[in-house]
Amino acid sequence: MSQPSFAPNGNDGSIVVKAEKVNKYFGSLHVLKDVSLTVRKNETVIVIGPSGSGKSTFLRCINHLEKINSGHIYVNGHLIGYLDRNGKLVEDSEKNIARQRAEIGMVFQRFNLFPHLTALENIIEAPMRVRKTPQDAATADGERLLARVGLADKRDKYPSQLSGGQQQRVAIARALAMKPSLMLFDEPTSALDPEMIGEVLDVMKELAHEVTMVVVSHEMGFARAAANRIVFMDSGTIIEDTTPDDLFANPREERTKQFLSKILH
Amino acid sequence: MMYHFDWGVFWNYLWPPSALQGPLIRTCLVVTIAVSIVAQALGVVFGLFAALGKTSKFAPFRIIADAYIWYFRGTPLLVQMALLFFGFGVMHIYDFPDIIFGDLKISGAIQAGALALAINEGAYMAEIVRAGIEAIEPGQMEAAKSLGMTYGLAMRRIVLPQAAKVIVPPLGNEFNNMMKTTSLMEIISANELFYAYNQVNARIFKPFELFIAVSIYYLAMTTVWSFIQARIEASLGERKGIEKAPGMLERIFGGGPRTSPTMGAH
Repeated sequence: MSQPSFAPNGNDGSIVVKAEKVNKYFGSLHVLKDVSLTVRKNETVIVIGPSGSGKSTFLRCINHLEKINSGHIYVNGHLIGYLDRNGKLVEDSEKNIARQRAEIGMVFQRFNLFPHLTALENIIEAPMRVRKTPQDAATADGERLLARVGLADKRDKYPSQLSGGQQQRVAIARALAMKPSLMLFDEPTSALDPEMIGEVLDVMKELAHEVTMVVVSHEMGFARAAANRIVFMDSGTIIEDTTPDDLFANPREERTKQFLSKILH
Repeated sequence: MMYHFDWGVFWNYLWPPSALQGPLIRTCLVVTIAVSIVAQALGVVFGLFAALGKTSKFAPFRIIADAYIWYFRGTPLLVQMALLFFGFGVMHIYDFPDIIFGDLKISGAIQAGALALAINEGAYMAEIVRAGIEAIEPGQMEAAKSLGMTYGLAMRRIVLPQAAKVIVPPLGNEFNNMMKTTSLMEIISANELFYAYNQVNARIFKPFELFIAVSIYYLAMTTVWSFIQARIEASLGERKGIEKAPGMLERIFGGGPRTSPTMGAH
């Protein structure tokens, strides 16, 4: 496997995500404006911002679910989704993109579990089909992951038989089954009933110590407890990038203050 | 002068010994059922490829799929069948020679008829399959891709199995139509059921009795299929939580959206 490696300057191996001047348009709408962000190994970065600020779009660019118009996104030193041909970005082959995505776990707002598969089948599908893990090994691994998210007894349940919180925990286990070096969470608790948010955040907090995570979320309690950094985005740009305590204590920008006053109560 | 319904002829050609055991009608009944199954199965395959072509990001695939659907839905099946069998023969594109497997002979007319039915069916199945694929939430494809699956793998393992549930009920209706539409193969003298009765009629000229008899055969096939279809849908529904399938009476006597009459739509 020959992955193009255009390691950006100063990559000492501890940088997992490096986004450089990423621009993206939806038609004439400029949704990401020169967004740059670096995430180091085992860091947990929370991205907050008003709706339409581009935070989810940016997250989706990191595993190339969205194309970008200019800039570079590297994960573990590999340019994501594109080949750099003398400075010109050419979209990579489907196979290579799939290979890159296999290293990046993603958890969605609406869970997106496969409804025709049981909890365990949801988890072992990609390891078996993509990684070619034998079924017994994948099953053992899947059961261990289900136990880890507290759902060992739900292995043979279909998603429709699980609560929202349980579905999201299975979705986290499904992403972890690929042993990703990076986990992306796209508003993982915003489709959940309030009483189920805690169980999902608990799983994420535990994970935060072991996996590099980028989380789009407005759960400030989680940010305080688990985040190393918090990034505030508005209108397609990163306004602030600091620690949660610093951001809550002394937001520098007026827009940040306004936004925080709306979500902190 | 009053025409007398000839019960003797009617029964004779409806039920054994003389009719069903007559080699012509028996063979033709088997051919009708076999062609229906083969043409429907091929039609699903063609429809699947056309649907994937139609939803493809690659423009030439979309154009080919659109042209296919446009032509085969926009011209009569009868014409397509005649063009394929007679036209291709005359032009020496393909003569449809008989295929012989041991004792089994598949005539060129049957091959051409089944192929025409399948290609035509594919153009209709394309829309059904596409609607099935589009009924699946885009998040499913995204989740599959985020796990490192390629488009093809995600389609096969994640999207199509879910789309199948949406496709099965209209597919059953298509097969019901297909069994009746095989009668169009009469025009190219394929040995199917309607052809057989037409041949008998040419000999004894009892069109009323004979065509009622043959219609009862078609009715029997579609009715049996209705029961099978109901069973399939019920078992799918149980497992996957689909809406309750229509009841038997509704299925046979209608009540839901009408399926197209054989000659008109296809």
